[in-house]
Amino acid sequence: MSTPLMVGAVAYTPNVVTIWEGMREHFREGPAEMDFVLFSNYGRQVDALLDGTIDIAWNTNLAWLRTVAQTDGACQALAMRDTDTVFRTIFVARSGSAMHGLESLRAKTLALGSKDSAQAAILPVHFLSEAGLDSDAVKLLRINSDVGKHGDTGRSELDALRAVLDDKADAAAIGVNTWDAIGREELMPGAFEVVWESPTYSHCNFTALPTLPPERVAPWLDQLFAMDWDNPEHRPILEMEGLKKWVAPKLEGYASLIEAVKEQGIPPRW
Amino acid sequence: MVSPRLVLDLIERVGSAPHGATVSVPLTGDDPDSLTETITAWCLRSGNELVEVRDNVASVRHGRGFDVLADLAPDQVPGTRLWLYTNFDCNLACDYCCARSSPSAPRRALGLDVVRKLAAEAVGAGVTELLLTGGEPFLLPDIDELVAVCTDALPTTLLTNGMLFAGRRLERLRRMDRSRLCLQISLDSPTPDLHDSHRGPGSWARAVAGIRLARTEGFRIRVAATLQVGDIRDLEPFHAFLDSLDVARDDQVIRPIAHRGFADDGLELTLDSLIPEVTITAEGVYWHPVSADHVDQLVTVNPFPLDQVIAEVKRRFVEQRSRATSAAQWFPCA
Repeated sequence: MSTPLMVGAVAYTPNVVTIWEGMREHFREGPAEMDFVLFSNYGRQVDALLDGTIDIAWNTNLAWLRTVAQTDGACQALAMRDTDTVFRTIFVARSGSAMHGLESLRAKTLALGSKDSAQAAILPVHFLSEAGLDSDAVKLLRINSDVGKHGDTGRSELDALRAVLDDKADAAAIGVNTWDAIGREELMPGAFEVVWESPTYSHCNFTALPTLPPERVAPWLDQLFAMDWDNPEHRPILEMEGLKKWVAPKLEGYASLIEAVKEQGIPPRW
Repeated sequence: MVSPRLVLDLIERVGSAPHGATVSVPLTGDDPDSLTETITAWCLRSGNELVEVRDNVASVRHGRGFDVLADLAPDQVPGTRLWLYTNFDCNLACDYCCARSSPSAPRRALGLDVVRKLAAEAVGAGVTELLLTGGEPFLLPDIDELVAVCTDALPTTLLTNGMLFAGRRLERLRRMDRSRLCLQISLDSPTPDLHDSHRGPGSWARAVAGIRLARTEGFRIRVAATLQVGDIRDLEPFHAFLDSLDVARDDQVIRPIAHRGFADDGLELTLDSLIPEVTITAEGVYWHPVSADHVDQLVTVNPFPLDQVIAEVKRRFVEQRSRATSAAQWFPCA
C-alpha cells in the first residue's frame, strides 16, 4: 500500500471537515487512498503544494492562477465540479431600480466582495473594464469581509447585498451560488433583480504539480469520478460541496480571470 | 412581505454553522407570521430545516435533521403496533400495576363495536400487530369475539395473567385462532416468592398452570416478567425454568417496573423518554400502554379516524425528538 495522497483544502466553514472526512472515507480501501490537510487561506495552501507538503490542492480559480504563475504553467488541473464549469457573476440591484446592463451602472456605486474573490471583485471589475467602465465611471465600494479565502465564505457578498439594502450601493456583484442561495428573484420578489449576468467561467479545480506520477493520479481520478449523486453514501458529500458530478477541468474557462489578474496587477501570493 | 435582511442573516449564520447544528435567528419586526413564512420558504428551498419558532426566535438546522423514524427498528415505528385496553377491571391487584387495575376498578370496557372498527381501520393505517391488554381480558364475557375480530384483521397478542382458564373462559380460549394469536402471560420469577409478593398468594402456581394449559392447547406463549431494576440480574435460572415450560427464548420478555399507577417506585417514563406505542382505551388515545391511565400522556379522546391519530402521534414524536436533538446541540457540556 502506497502512502495516501495528501489533499489540501481551505477551511472556510466547519463543514469542510465533514466534507473531507467523507471524501477520505470514499477513497478508503480503494487503490488510491487519500488524507487531507486544512489551511486557513489559499496563499498557505499554494505554498504547501509547491513545497511538497500536499500532493493535490483543492484550489479556487485565483489559487489555480497563482499556482500556474509560480510553476511557469507546469502545474496540472485534474478535475473540477460540474458547477465549476459554468460559474457566473451576477450584478443585482433593488427591484424596480430600472438598471439593465452594465452601462446602467455608470455614475452608480457598485458593492464588491472581498478583493481576492474572483467572482465578487476581480472579475466584476474586469467585466466593467471590458464594457468601457473604469473606476471613474463606476464608484466601487469594496467590502473585504473574508480576505484569504477567495470569497468562499460568501460573507462579503452578503455584506455587499446588505450595502444595497442600506442604500450604500446601487448594485452588488455576487457569485451565482450566492444568487441561488438567496433564492434568485423567486424567494424574495420585490427585493433584488438582475442587472447583468456574466458569461460563464471556470472556478475551482484539483491542482497538482507535474511531479505527481500519472500512475498515482489515474486511480485517484477514477475513484473521484466514480462518486455518484444517486448513491446515498456519496450524495451528502456532493451536496455539501455543491456539485452533482466531478468532471474533467475546463481550462479555457480561466481566460477571463487570466486577463483580469494581468490588468489589475493582482499580487501573486493572495 | 418577505424580509431580505432575514434571508441574508440566515444564509450567513446557517452557512457558518456545522452541518447538523442548529442556529437561532431572532424574528424582529411587526409581522412574525410573515417572517416565519420567509424562513419556511428559504429552508424548503435551501435544504435546511426549520426546527421551531418560539418566542419570536426561529431555530434552523443546517441541513436536514436525521430521520427520526428511520432510526427506529421497524416494529418501533409509532403506529406499527396498536394497543387496545379491552377493560381495566382485574382479578388481581398487583402492587406495581401501571394501569391501576384491580377487582375494585371500574370495567371501562372498550366494547366489541369499537374494537371491530379499530381492527378494520388498523390494516389501512399501517398497523401490523394488535395487542389486547387490561385489566384482565378474560373477565370479559365476549373476549373470544373481541379476539376474533382482531385476529381476522391482523396478528394479535392477548395479555393475560393466565389464571382464569377454566369453565366457560376455557371454552372461549379454545375458540381463539391459534395461528394468529399469541398469549402473553405474566410471570415474574421461577419460584413463587417474588411473583406472589407482588401479585398475591397462590398466583404464581395458577399462572404456571395457565402457561402449561395454553401450551397444551397449542397456543404460542410469550412470558413477560416485570421486575425491579435491581432484580434484573442473574436471570439464567428464570430462563431455564421458562425453557422447561416450552417458552421460546425470543418469547421470554423481562422488563423493569415503571413508576406509574400503583408502583411506589420504578423507571420514570415520560413523553420525552418513551417511543410512543399508540394505545386506545375507553377514555381515548394514549402515548404508550404504560401510561394508559394517566392524563399527562393522553393524545386525544377520539380514536377515529385511526390513520389520522397515528399520524398525529408520529408528528409529535418526530417534533419532540428533533427538538431534543437541537437542545443537545445548544448546550454542549464541554
